[in-house]
Amino acid sequence: MDTVSLTIDGRQITVEKGKTVLQAALENGIHVPYYCYHPGISIDGSCRVCIVKIEKMPKLQTSCSTVCAEGMVIETRTPEVVAARAGVFEFLLVNHPLDCPVCDKGGECPLQDFSYTFGPDQSRMEFPRRVFDGEGVKGDVDFGPTLMLNRQRCILCTRCVRFMRDIDGDAQINIIDRGYGSEIATFQEEGVHSLISGNLMDVCPVGAITTRDYRFKSRPWDNPIAADTICTQCSKGCNTTAWIKAKPEWAKGAQLIRFTPRFNHDVNGYWMCDIGRFEYHWIEGDNRLRQPLEREANLGQQPISWQELTSKLGDRLAAAGTSNPEGVRFLLSAHASHEELFLFRRLTEALLGEPNAVSVSWRYQTKSQPAGSKFIVPPVDAPNVNGARAMGLAPGKVGPVDNDAKADVSALRAAVDAGRVSALYVFDPGPEGSLGDVQWIVDARASGRLPLLIVQGVVLSALARAADFVLPGASYVEKEASYTNDQGTLQGATRVIAPPGEAMEDWQILVNLGVALGVPFTYTSAARVRADIAERYANEPGLAGIATLVFGRPVAARNWLQASNPSERWKWDFMFQDMPPVKGHVDPSAVPMPIGAIPLKEVK
Amino acid sequence: MSFHPKMTYGAAFHKSARDLDPDRDQGPPFEYTAENRARFDRIVQRYPDAQRRSAVLPALYLVQYQQGHITASAMRYVAGLLGITPADVEDVVSFYSMFYTKPVGRFVLQVCRTLSCALNGAERVTEELSAKLGIKPGETDPSGTFTLIEVECLGACDRAPVVMVNDAWHECLTPGDAAKLVDDLKARGEAALSGCHHVVEKK
Ligand code: SF4
Ligand code: SF4
Ligand code: FES
Ligand code: FES
Repeated sequence: MDTVSLTIDGRQITVEKGKTVLQAALENGIHVPYYCYHPGISIDGSCRVCIVKIEKMPKLQTSCSTVCAEGMVIETRTPEVVAARAGVFEFLLVNHPLDCPVCDKGGECPLQDFSYTFGPDQSRMEFPRRVFDGEGVKGDVDFGPTLMLNRQRCILCTRCVRFMRDIDGDAQINIIDRGYGSEIATFQEEGVHSLISGNLMDVCPVGAITTRDYRFKSRPWDNPIAADTICTQCSKGCNTTAWIKAKPEWAKGAQLIRFTPRFNHDVNGYWMCDIGRFEYHWIEGDNRLRQPLEREANLGQQPISWQELTSKLGDRLAAAGTSNPEGVRFLLSAHASHEELFLFRRLTEALLGEPNAVSVSWRYQTKSQPAGSKFIVPPVDAPNVNGARAMGLAPGKVGPVDNDAKADVSALRAAVDAGRVSALYVFDPGPEGSLGDVQWIVDARASGRLPLLIVQGVVLSALARAADFVLPGASYVEKEASYTNDQGTLQGATRVIAPPGEAMEDWQILVNLGVALGVPFTYTSAARVRADIAERYANEPGLAGIATLVFGRPVAARNWLQASNPSERWKWDFMFQDMPPVKGHVDPSAVPMPIGAIPLKEVK
Repeated sequence: MSFHPKMTYGAAFHKSARDLDPDRDQGPPFEYTAENRARFDRIVQRYPDAQRRSAVLPALYLVQYQQGHITASAMRYVAGLLGITPADVEDVVSFYSMFYTKPVGRFVLQVCRTLSCALNGAERVTEELSAKLGIKPGETDPSGTFTLIEVECLGACDRAPVVMVNDAWHECLTPGDAAKLVDDLKARGEAALSGCHHVVEKK
């Protein structure tokens, strides 16, 4: 690695060649504010708050667009820089409405944070502020199906413009008019139409772009719990953070309040798609399965206790299995985790002596995205096709899930249609539709060709409504479970909230059922299941490391600085907390301040 | 498109107050005349293929030349020709004061209001023109002959105040001259456009 050495605020720093002065400063715990710079998109140099003094250069320079050179001497805290920077901040706030109390970004807003730290403490602005579409939240206007835009708050950093151009590949956002009249806009106010539009809320460093889904629902200090997890709505496996709304236990309503992307260089970068971000309401929706159900003649589906259900179901399955082992079949969704796939496999081996009784299915849906998009949402709407392959339940080897990896359940369908299946056990912990077309199962059950249908899942889908037994399981945020994504990377999803009502984690349901059927399962936790997987699939690359996989945990954000959106969380984590010398390495207060340096006002 | 049933689109969300092209969805589709298309084809050849978008200004001038102002449909058309998005084109159209998104009069009177002209009485000139034509800056007179707008520096500060009428400069214009110019334009049409002093002196 080629490096260059430079001096910032009297400290000798060595960084990789090609880094900018801003990056060098941030990586070394030197506080320089920035707005238009975002690590995931191209550099613009338009906001001017990152200015620093570079020796031998006549004017102050924007550190985000200056590449480090050998021997550079840089000052970020001399009176000249501090005063000029404060001037820039004063300008940024000249037209800003400062409606933080009603702004969704309030509490996790870089404009607040940096203005407090680096800006002047008062404005000298005596003129009316520029208003585009109405005062206050009346300024929030339609910005496409997922977003709202408030032009008053915009500081014209153009991060959103560059995100659409660089990452989305369809430059739908631009700046119209000029000078004082400049505003962010889409062509003829058509709004942003993109599968990754939610990221615009993250890149916007102020409350100008907000999502319809999260708007007015909560404030950062109402979300004291966040859990780092992964998304399982497609085969990509984006790293995300799930946010839980603080509310008393007795209060009604959803706990999950939003999902935001979490940086992972190899999987999703800084981004996630709108499906993963906005389509989570089914988890706590009205259609959620909360109780085990049994169909009773003339009465329809009735609640039943787990104990009763396990023993009744055990009897029915055992009976079907002994009379005709070929006639008991399992249809699993690729939303099933490794733990669940493994237990199903062991169950069928023990009961029927053959793994062929299991078919795995998933939905395949090509998404329409611009040709140049840098963030492609894969067509396979399930997280664990590679897991099914690793366990020999789906054809193919673990590896990139190629683009026409369509599920094939034709053999099972033919058997069901021919009336050769006496019991079908369907497992799908994903949202409705994750299995692809299942109407043929519903029809077979209705016509009596399929005498027994068991559904273990999370939503009362058409399929669950047709079932004789319904077992309420856990969705991907309600259990610790592992998945192997389309690149073959093993990742774990965190147990963010508890399964609702009497619903149970799926590994537990399967262990209970196995025991009722006389299978000697001794697992007492999902971790034990994973340990066994590691033993039995020691040579399977897609499962390597499963026994030692580390899972996230819902953690209380100690202060609102942590409860921040991802780009800003990145900032706080790296800049103010994790980076040397701030956390653990060197005490910054012990580093002598250069003569004439002005101490920063830290946000407390 | 919407990804969540509770997030249906098109409902009565607060819409922007921005001035839009009323025909943006249903207006007649724009197309260059054969002659203008040939001109356009010649113009894009000046730029390397990867920089085709650089032809956006001349392409927009051609639109304005053809139909007087630039409609949403024309912006889409130009975007298609250059391989950029309509938003990119709208960005350019809205940036430059010499592109009109609404119909303008036969003569567009552009009064410079930047420093040198302002110091030399440009405001008086604007007032005089306003009074004479009975319209405010930004408006077109009922006959559709004159449009009055204020613009920034026209690059002839040494002969302030300056008014540009269509493509011709009129320099050192006192309010009285301005009123005369209007009468002259009414009487003689385009022939009354003098051009800047270089042009005048060369004549
Ligand atoms: S809307 Fe947000 S991201 Fe876009 S330019 Fe304005 S402040 Fe920046
Ligand atoms: S791309 Fe896939 S994994 Fe990522 S957020 Fe979207 S649905 Fe989830
Ligand atoms: S961050 Fe450097 S100019 Fe905006
Ligand atoms: S200031 Fe009017 S032409 Fe320059």
